[in-house]
Amino acid sequence: MEDTPTAGAPPRNGTWKKHLIHLFPVPAILFYTLFIVYPILAAFTYSLFEWKGLVMGRFNNFDNFIRLFTQEPYHTMFWRALRHNLYYFVVEMVVQNGIAFGLAYLIFRKIKGASFFKVAYFLPRLLSVIIVGFLWKLILNPNMGILNAVLRKVGLESLTTAWLGDPDTALTAVVLINSWFAIGFYMLILLAGLQSIPEEVMEAARLDGTTGFRLIRSVVLPMMFQPMVIVIVMTFIQSFEAFELVFAMQGSTGEPFYSTDLLAVFFYRTAFGGNSGDTGSLGIGSALAVVLFAIIAIISAVFMKYVNHKETA
Amino acid sequence: MKRIKSMSTVLLTFATAVALSACGGNNGSNGSAASSNTGGAASSDAKVTVSITSWRAEASEQEFYKQLQAELNKTAPEIVIDYKPVKATEYNTSLNVALSTDTAADIIHLRPYAAGTTIADADYLEPIDDLKGLDVFTPEQLKAAQGSDGKQYGVPYMLSSTQVLYNKDIFAKYNLQEPKTWDEFIKLADTLKSNNVTPLAFGSKEGWVLSLMHGAIAPQFYGHDFVDKFLKGEAKLDSPEYISSIEALKSLQPYFPANFEGLSMEDIRTIFATGQAGMVIDGHFEIASIQALNPEIKIGAFAVPPVKEGDEPSVSTWVDGSFAINKNSKNKEAARKVLEFMTTKEYGSMILGSTKSPSPIPGVSTDDELVNAISDLASKYGQPYFAVTNLNSGNPTTKSTLETDLQGMFLDAMTPEQVAADVQKSADTWFK
Repeated sequence: MEDTPTAGAPPRNGTWKKHLIHLFPVPAILFYTLFIVYPILAAFTYSLFEWKGLVMGRFNNFDNFIRLFTQEPYHTMFWRALRHNLYYFVVEMVVQNGIAFGLAYLIFRKIKGASFFKVAYFLPRLLSVIIVGFLWKLILNPNMGILNAVLRKVGLESLTTAWLGDPDTALTAVVLINSWFAIGFYMLILLAGLQSIPEEVMEAARLDGTTGFRLIRSVVLPMMFQPMVIVIVMTFIQSFEAFELVFAMQGSTGEPFYSTDLLAVFFYRTAFGGNSGDTGSLGIGSALAVVLFAIIAIISAVFMKYVNHKETA
Repeated sequence: MKRIKSMSTVLLTFATAVALSACGGNNGSNGSAASSNTGGAASSDAKVTVSITSWRAEASEQEFYKQLQAELNKTAPEIVIDYKPVKATEYNTSLNVALSTDTAADIIHLRPYAAGTTIADADYLEPIDDLKGLDVFTPEQLKAAQGSDGKQYGVPYMLSSTQVLYNKDIFAKYNLQEPKTWDEFIKLADTLKSNNVTPLAFGSKEGWVLSLMHGAIAPQFYGHDFVDKFLKGEAKLDSPEYISSIEALKSLQPYFPANFEGLSMEDIRTIFATGQAGMVIDGHFEIASIQALNPEIKIGAFAVPPVKEGDEPSVSTWVDGSFAINKNSKNKEAARKVLEFMTTKEYGSMILGSTKSPSPIPGVSTDDELVNAISDLASKYGQPYFAVTNLNSGNPTTKSTLETDLQGMFLDAMTPEQVAADVQKSADTWFK
């Protein structure tokens, strides 16, 4: 990698190379600015203006934000969607991450066929979300779907329902499908965390006679603090920006009767218009995007801060 | 070191290229369209190219424009049509961008009613009140493409209509006749039900289906003069007659398939096409898809029968788009000629034959019996599809409020009275 000094050129010392180093992040910064910083700033700017379709109107201060929080139907839609996002987060934490940890732990303890299961649980992740949505729509179809057919076959006819058309089951169904999709990914993160626990610690615990749940609670979990936090933050972000699956399965209004409406779906519908001739209003949509960004950024930041605090304490 | 340096150069160049192409994407596509334009014009000096943009991008549509070209050239040999379709879901956005950057086509396919009015009001369109042939349309149909100033901006191009479709074989098997009154319709549904045939294919998972089906039966319950009364401010959406139209839809619930809450239009189509249901309240535009699922099916159509004997039956119709001239078009004269052609019987027959849709132009026919029957019902008993023709304003629109609320009604979360009150509340935000 050493440069050969060219004839006639003064022997260079390391200074220009030192400066060159500062140029290396430029492409990254450019990309970051163009695709991350610019859209965020643009959304914020848009949110301060009045919009007529795609035409920017006059500056109107925080009017869009005020309308979002005080005017119907935005006000009702916002809080309902926020509640759904929270529910999404809780279910993913309990079901998705609970199962992901269980699977990771089994693979870590090297059960028979561990590597097969590792691949098998990661497989859904390779599908496109649209395909996942389509697949589960077929499975859950009340008329021809396999789930209701199986229930009828085993004599549980009374349990059959219009899964995705029933407000009592629709949101849970969508969240669980997303968990099914994402579980392999979280399993891998947790597995990596498990594998980073020093072998001596596990050995020592075993010599002390610590096994089973006690081993997990007193040794494994405390040693896994950091990967756990990463999983929690990622789950939080995932559940607050969830969009594709609901859009693919339940349309732009979070059908039925807004029972699967999430903040990002509400944003899409408000900014770009729904499927029934709504023209959309970019101003309020952008205001909502800014609020959504703030929720995710602030809560994630607080969480990470708390973690750092705990680490150093 | 050198390698890293050159790599960062490559990356930088790439980033710049991406940035530039992102900004210039629009220009690029316009450039290519423009060059194909000049290509057409270069072949003969006397020729004029007229571009038409539309959201109808199917292959059959390409074929249709070829036909249109041939027919048009019989009277206007100098005109070359450059058909520029855009995907339906992206059409509105793409049209708005094209209009605001002055790169839109000469002839614009306008979405009907409120959406078209918005574009006309933004001063992007050329008024065509004096266009030859406009008088073949009814005042109702012309309203689909007017500005708030009352001027005409578009030529209506096809009618959509909703009526009851039925399976002729099932009707024959149980010896059933097309009903003459609403009571007969209900009796017929009871007969089907007692024979374990689902009377009506229906599903409430998708909102738009609900306003479509409500729109079809509603005129029989709120009366033929309700829309006028509403527009004059003499009646409201929470008036008893409108509430009764919502109750009528709810009253059909016993005749729906099991778990209809989870069924979408796809399922509705399948249930009807496979003979599980005897009837469906549906738009003419679903017939092709139903026949694609089951080419053997024999479909009949009847208008929604009157509640009171002796009253007129009804089908709900609306103009599904119109053609308008771009105000900044360079070829306005030629564009006017194309629009004039779109008011002729030749054009009406083409619409009927190739899109299987009723045409607003009277006196046209095809050899398709069902299309003719529907076309006939539409011209005899047509009533406006109120939600599209008049309730498509507001944000969210009153139409989409109605759709979600009807969904709520079928989930027992709302009563018909609450639905009516809520849609009136939505209309209050914009209807003056």
